[in-house]
Amino acid sequence: MGEARIITTSCSHDCGGRCLLRVHVHDGKIVRIETDDGEAPQLRACLRGRAYRQRIYSPDRLKYPLKRVGARGEGKFQRISWDEALDTVANELLRVRSMYGNASILLLAGSGSQAVLHGAGAVERLLAKFGGYTRTWGIPSFEGALFASMATYGTMMTGNAREDLLNARLIVMWGWNPAVTVWDTNTAYILARAKEKGTRIISIDPRLIESTAVFAAEWIPIRPGTDAAMLVAMAYVIMERRLEDRQFLEKYTVGFDKFRDYVLGVEDGIPKTPTWAEKITGIPRATIEKLAIEYATSKPAALIPGWGPARGSRGEQFTRAACTIIAMTGNIGIAGGYAGGFMRAFHSREMVMPRGARNPVEEGAPPRPYSLYKLRGAAKPTSARIHSVKVYDAILRGRAGGYPCDPKMAYIVASNFLCSYPNTNQGIKAFQKLEFIVVHEQRMTPTARFADILLPVNTFMEREDIISPWLGSPYYLFMNKAIDSLYESKSDRDICAELAPRLGIADYRDGRSNEEWLRIITQQTGDIPDFDSFKAKGYVKLKVDEPFVAFREQIEDPVAHPFPTLSGKIEIYCPHLAEMENPLIPPIAKYLPVPDGFSDPLSKKYPLQLVTVHHKPATHTTMERIPWLDEVEPRRVWINTRDAETRGISNGDRVLVFNDRGKMLMAANVTERIMPGVVSIGHGGWFELDANGVDHGGCTNILTPSEHSPGGAWCTNTVLVEVRKV
Amino acid sequence: MQLGFYIDQSRCINCHTCAVACKDWHNIPAGSVNWRWVVSVEQGKYPRVFVAFFALSCLHCAKPACIPACPVGAITKRQADGIVLVDRDACLGKEDCGLCREACPYKAPQFATDGEAKMQMCHLCADRWQEGRKPVCVEACPMRALDAGPLDKLEARYGMLKQVPGFVYAAESRPSVVFKARQPELLQ
Repeated sequence: MGEARIITTSCSHDCGGRCLLRVHVHDGKIVRIETDDGEAPQLRACLRGRAYRQRIYSPDRLKYPLKRVGARGEGKFQRISWDEALDTVANELLRVRSMYGNASILLLAGSGSQAVLHGAGAVERLLAKFGGYTRTWGIPSFEGALFASMATYGTMMTGNAREDLLNARLIVMWGWNPAVTVWDTNTAYILARAKEKGTRIISIDPRLIESTAVFAAEWIPIRPGTDAAMLVAMAYVIMERRLEDRQFLEKYTVGFDKFRDYVLGVEDGIPKTPTWAEKITGIPRATIEKLAIEYATSKPAALIPGWGPARGSRGEQFTRAACTIIAMTGNIGIAGGYAGGFMRAFHSREMVMPRGARNPVEEGAPPRPYSLYKLRGAAKPTSARIHSVKVYDAILRGRAGGYPCDPKMAYIVASNFLCSYPNTNQGIKAFQKLEFIVVHEQRMTPTARFADILLPVNTFMEREDIISPWLGSPYYLFMNKAIDSLYESKSDRDICAELAPRLGIADYRDGRSNEEWLRIITQQTGDIPDFDSFKAKGYVKLKVDEPFVAFREQIEDPVAHPFPTLSGKIEIYCPHLAEMENPLIPPIAKYLPVPDGFSDPLSKKYPLQLVTVHHKPATHTTMERIPWLDEVEPRRVWINTRDAETRGISNGDRVLVFNDRGKMLMAANVTERIMPGVVSIGHGGWFELDANGVDHGGCTNILTPSEHSPGGAWCTNTVLVEVRKV
Repeated sequence: MQLGFYIDQSRCINCHTCAVACKDWHNIPAGSVNWRWVVSVEQGKYPRVFVAFFALSCLHCAKPACIPACPVGAITKRQADGIVLVDRDACLGKEDCGLCREACPYKAPQFATDGEAKMQMCHLCADRWQEGRKPVCVEACPMRALDAGPLDKLEARYGMLKQVPGFVYAAESRPSVVFKARQPELLQ
């Protein structure tokens, strides 16, 4: 096929990996994609990156600006010029602003593009310069874990570098599946090496996931939503046997006595024994005892609390409880330990576009109730934002429903919102109420079908940008442009730059070209010596003396380096939480029974607990409908053999999965790899509703509740359903 | 000299990156043709379950069963490196023949579903060996669970294990492969 040019770039979707792609370009067309074959550590791409050619050239790609001609959501559009499209969007923005004010402009910005210049940030800058907008809080992936991390440690920088797992004597993977979710490139590879050097690895998860199958010496299946009970009972065992690190607790933490009172039953008369937890978790008390003793006596041990268990009702309590027993065993600030929490591990992820204008809509708004507003370092806790799972309710009820605005238009960017946020059926109703919807998209997603004006966006291979690892590792990637933008597509940033003059914004780009911005951002990292060689090589891999360990300074010299909490110590008891006086986010970690949980009376009607997990071929909704990926693992509902038998379901049967919120049809995967009473479906499917409102597209959010915990945790792993053969 | 594969079942996470990279490199559309695929093994009853994965392809046997099965001599084994190749122009196709696939203990010969449907399968990235590069699946594997090279060197480096859960060594064909096995820890 002749000589191809090889361009170096990286995926920039919301995937746990950040890997090097070497893109072969021939005659302006991408013909092959390879990965890193250079210096260590090689950043090898997964199946999603390797299949990207089929996404670029997908028949679903949007070619031209489109104007809606049918009913909203019907998918009938007419091709229009860029001028007409941009004029319409600008006129609607101006009209809505003058009639209702800036707060009624709702920005629904997703995580579809994580590079610094493009994606959601481009529109945030535009709308800030336009006088402001209403945005959401409550990140789907991790809001519960983030809240717990801030309450306990005062920061999200709580992880150790992956290489440090090789220093652990014991690794506990708790609701953590890096074999699928990646969790920083090479994590699974390092776990394999840890196992090969003799490290014992235990996995706690309702499913026998790939990470368990390959790395774990022991699988402890747990009933979804009961993880905090297990951890609290482990704390009981550790206290009963006096295995806690008294010196560590004394020196670095506050409030252990209050947690002890809760665990021993002094507070409420209920000792949180393994027998107590057995009834809740479904785990034999001997297993709980054994794990507690093993964890407390295997220092250094890395207990890794995944984000999944925190993605449930009262999910904050899981991460808080995990951090508490981690502190009890003194596994913080040392090589081979692991502090849990949010788990960012290196400052590379701090690389962002310098902030443009502030959002005037949020200026002067009081702090959000039940926010950790006294702490800095997480998202701004302003009451001017709407929780992301409450967007639909806010559209339907507005200020009268207690929301900070009456949304009148939605500006959607880098987000397949209707598929990605809970209670899709409510969303479909709510979107009909908006006066105007503009969507930036790359392909014809179910959300794009609801646009009034649909703007075609190029993919990352059609533009230049830079990006850092997802959770932070010591490297940066330069995303070189491989091909020209396909069809009439443009970058998010170029679209905003062309809208700006129509909105009376004089200088959207602040007088600098994209490359000038990239040079500034590169320089600000302090890590990248030379922009031009960074661009030419496509990466900078930093040489570090030893793997990063969170809180090493705080532990080695606590006087000079207090923890960034209000007390300067690890807050097992958090006074900031105590002030809130909200029993659903207590000042110490507690197990709290939940609505839609296994003990809810609703479980009589819907006896199966659904967990909505990451789907291997998908990156949320981004990698849907790519033939090379679709054939790897079709979306199916996992159901235990016993639960299948009682329902007359055989492997591969079409089944109806349903609750009061919605119904979906899909094939059953009858397996021993999931605990009885639990079913799972990989999230990210694009809904396809038939005339009866039954989804055929595997969109789990048809079934999930639009609820959240006070700390912000989503409830997409707290769902009751029934499954029936059709 | 005989080229072959090393397959580390203890590391394979069932990610299919090798299979997708193979399709991208060789430009094979999604569908029934899979030069490389992943075998999944599930044994036992909840909660004592054994699960293992490994990626498989044509294993370029020392005595390939497909060669004598082919009525028109379309399949040949290269003297220099033992790679088994098919002459697709000579192949009779699946509808008229398909005997090679039936003969192969691993069903490595692949056919598309269209009318043409001539046999195709892994050629160990003969194109890449020519440039001194290993097969694309080997360079793709995020777990470094695959290797390829002269079989005697692979045996010296990785050992002589020829059989793992889910894979039976066909003694007559002598596939050019060595393995590392997944241990059944979760059954204990």
